[in-house]
Amino acid sequence: MFNLPYYLKKRIIDYVIHFIMLIILAFTLFPIGWMVFTSLKENTDILVGKIPFSHAHNNVVDLKSEGNTLWVLTSDGGINKVNRKTLKEESYVNAQTSGTHFLINKKYVWVSSSNRGLLRYDKTNLKSKKEYNLNLPKFDRSQVVGTTIIEANNKIYFAMQYKGFEKIFEFDIKAEKISRAIDIENKLSPSQVRSLLVSGNTLFAGLDNGLLKINLSSGKIENAYDITTSLPLGVAYMEAINGNLVIAGNTGAYIFNPLSGSIVQKITSSAVGGLAISNSRIYMGFNRGFYEYNTKTNKLKAAEMLFRPVDRTGTVLNKSGFAPGEVINFSISGNSVYIGSTYGRVSAYNLASGKVVNTTSARQGAIVISWVNYIDMWKNVDFGLYLKNSFLICGAATLFAMIFATMAAYALARFDFPGAKVLSLAILATQMVPGIMFLIPIYSNFVKFSEITGVAIKGTYWGLIFVYAVFFIPFSIWILRGFFAAIPMELEEAARIDGCSPFQVFWYVVLPLAVPGIIATGIYVFLTAWDELILAWVLTSGDTMTIPVGIRNFVGNYQNRFDLIMAAAVVATAPVMTLFFLLQKYIVKGLTAGAVKG
Amino acid sequence: MLGFFRDINHRFKKYRFAYIFILPTVIGMLLLHLTPIVQGTYMSFLELNQFTLDRYLGAPFVWFKNYYDVLINSRSPIRIGLFDAARNTVIYTIVVTLGTTFLGMLVALMVNRNFRGKGFIRTLFLFPWVVPTYVTGLLWGFMWQQGAGIINVLLVDILHLLPTKPFWLIGPNTIWAIIVPTIWRYWPFSMLLLLAGMQSIPEELYEAADIDGASPWRKFWMITWPLLKPVWSILILFGLIFNVYSFNIVIMMFGFGAGFPGEWGDLLMTNIFRNSFMQWNFGVGAAASVLLMLTMIVIVNIWFYFYKQVEEESR
Repeated sequence: MFNLPYYLKKRIIDYVIHFIMLIILAFTLFPIGWMVFTSLKENTDILVGKIPFSHAHNNVVDLKSEGNTLWVLTSDGGINKVNRKTLKEESYVNAQTSGTHFLINKKYVWVSSSNRGLLRYDKTNLKSKKEYNLNLPKFDRSQVVGTTIIEANNKIYFAMQYKGFEKIFEFDIKAEKISRAIDIENKLSPSQVRSLLVSGNTLFAGLDNGLLKINLSSGKIENAYDITTSLPLGVAYMEAINGNLVIAGNTGAYIFNPLSGSIVQKITSSAVGGLAISNSRIYMGFNRGFYEYNTKTNKLKAAEMLFRPVDRTGTVLNKSGFAPGEVINFSISGNSVYIGSTYGRVSAYNLASGKVVNTTSARQGAIVISWVNYIDMWKNVDFGLYLKNSFLICGAATLFAMIFATMAAYALARFDFPGAKVLSLAILATQMVPGIMFLIPIYSNFVKFSEITGVAIKGTYWGLIFVYAVFFIPFSIWILRGFFAAIPMELEEAARIDGCSPFQVFWYVVLPLAVPGIIATGIYVFLTAWDELILAWVLTSGDTMTIPVGIRNFVGNYQNRFDLIMAAAVVATAPVMTLFFLLQKYIVKGLTAGAVKG
Repeated sequence: MLGFFRDINHRFKKYRFAYIFILPTVIGMLLLHLTPIVQGTYMSFLELNQFTLDRYLGAPFVWFKNYYDVLINSRSPIRIGLFDAARNTVIYTIVVTLGTTFLGMLVALMVNRNFRGKGFIRTLFLFPWVVPTYVTGLLWGFMWQQGAGIINVLLVDILHLLPTKPFWLIGPNTIWAIIVPTIWRYWPFSMLLLLAGMQSIPEELYEAADIDGASPWRKFWMITWPLLKPVWSILILFGLIFNVYSFNIVIMMFGFGAGFPGEWGDLLMTNIFRNSFMQWNFGVGAAASVLLMLTMIVIVNIWFYFYKQVEEESR
């Protein structure tokens, strides 16, 4: 072997050690990072074990072919500008919205969303966007299912699918603001708008339980049709054909006559996704393919399979197999039909040849990070109360424990009084008794005490503060004694000679010197109290519960909601973590000084 | 006789200040430590179960029946469970105590070098120690999940170290599922104390060893290890006590604070807690607690003598 110079060898070893240290650090911090990360994810993703790879659903909610371009618009807010011939991506932008719906007019792509309101993107330059603050009334955004948006007469109409939000907003494109809000409370209420259609001066709104006919000039509801016998889950798609309406949803497709207000013809009763009309033919999507319905001959023709599995670049992975995909949207232009489905897949189909010409896949959605879990958890459990209780109880217990432990530790460190040895031994011995041994007698004594005197201890703040304070005193004494012993005796003797009383010596000379140690011990006691589960479990009730007890109850009720559980875990960890980070200098210095010397 | 009282009076006057200062502590400990221990020991002789609970200390006195149930009675179901729990506790305590000390020593040696951001990295290493234990139990219980848990995803799906995903929370693997999180939670504390100990070792010793041409390995065993004896011996002492009474992590990992950890995951504390508070067998629970306490006193005394020797040596 060749001989390395000494300094080089040392350097290499140093690098290797550094590397190993960083690996250990990564492993150490990983669980904490994982906790925070999963608390921001969807529970379904967690349960199927694909958390690291979960992106927002990029279902194709809208398609539009225009000249040489095809717009592929996905539910995560993705706007893909694709070449029509090659189906290659030309430009892309992601609005990062939820409950997204799109509208394309001459100059702009409009995006309606539940989380960010209305957005406008320039068609020629997707980078330039405008976000409209609509000053909508406050509502719970996590409950919004989706949005709908259409354009008519230089106005944009959009609605949100949300219980108790029965309004359709009219947005003036020129003035760039909401010009009116149409109240759609009707005899079918409560209802949510799932689709919109404008025909002449009439606005049709497909609800989750019916159909609304609204006069646009007066803004009044002309009629509300209950069609739940045919479409019990509502009207998801709506198109106009020869003065009639085609309405479709999860339970079929029908032709509806708005004049008579009744369904005139049934097309199919299977689930329909996507609806398009061309040459008096109705195209309806279904799983893996689409139907073609001829309104003249009243014949239904099912087309062949459409989707081959593709990777995210659009390359076909498996030429023989077909992947399932719910068709959601169509765009028809001459003989070409573009069909969009779940997972961002788009197929180009030629009506003349009856073959799939090309397939592509929209860009994957952004990685989902959301605060929804925290909001959900906060709504389900009174975490604010638990946090308050924990801070109150742990804080007060730490304060009292520190006061009494400082006194006792000083006495033990400085005075060799009769009984000092016994007390020191007792302090050590208390650490050897299983906590459970105390639990039953303390619980029973508290109950008995209340029976006799009528003063409640169990389930009150003071009860638990008292128990915590007493339980943390022995350990605190044990650490603090080291600090006091390290303070030079000469200082106190000098003070005594100057005429100080023992208390003055303690108060003016010793205590200031011991403050760092007291703070360190106090923080340690606070952390330990924050961590305590059994005593709090048995001795608190209702509105005095501390965080560990609250979490235990909460977790018992939401066994498989790991997203919520992790959110709760983060909330329980964050305060002590912050405290530690801010005060870590004291802790490190104080604890090491006390423990190593003591 | 009078002289004796005068003597006491005199002594009290001399140490009045100290007695006043320890008074609150003594009262508190009498109320919440001594009384419960005496009551608990007495309870271990009582037939205290769900039928006699409301009579509390007036329950029938049965002498050593509870101890017989815990130790000898082979037909008592508690004894079987308790034996499993005792075995697990021994393994758990030893592995966790040694594991935290070993890992703490290793990382303390690594951190105790000169590099940029030393303080910051040390703080990062301490983070697990601040995570509450009940959160640790929940978090690792989630990570150990068989199908969706990240540990199995890492081991099987990504690194392909194992052919199939093992069950971590059922069967003999359980003991590791509780040991690993405990070590993860507590080793930073060992590191902190060992690091402080290392920094108090005079630099000259190492310089002298360097001049003599000693290898790092030899320097560690001849200088660092013996000089750190007071630190690691007290870490092991407190680790032993602390880990025998470990409860939160295990109880939160299985069934979210209400389940049975299984015969390879049950510890003495969780076992006694279950017998006491879920099956209302307070007498048996108290008897087991007393036995555990006595065992601990013996073990701790042995280790304490060792520690005292260490202290005397180091003086």
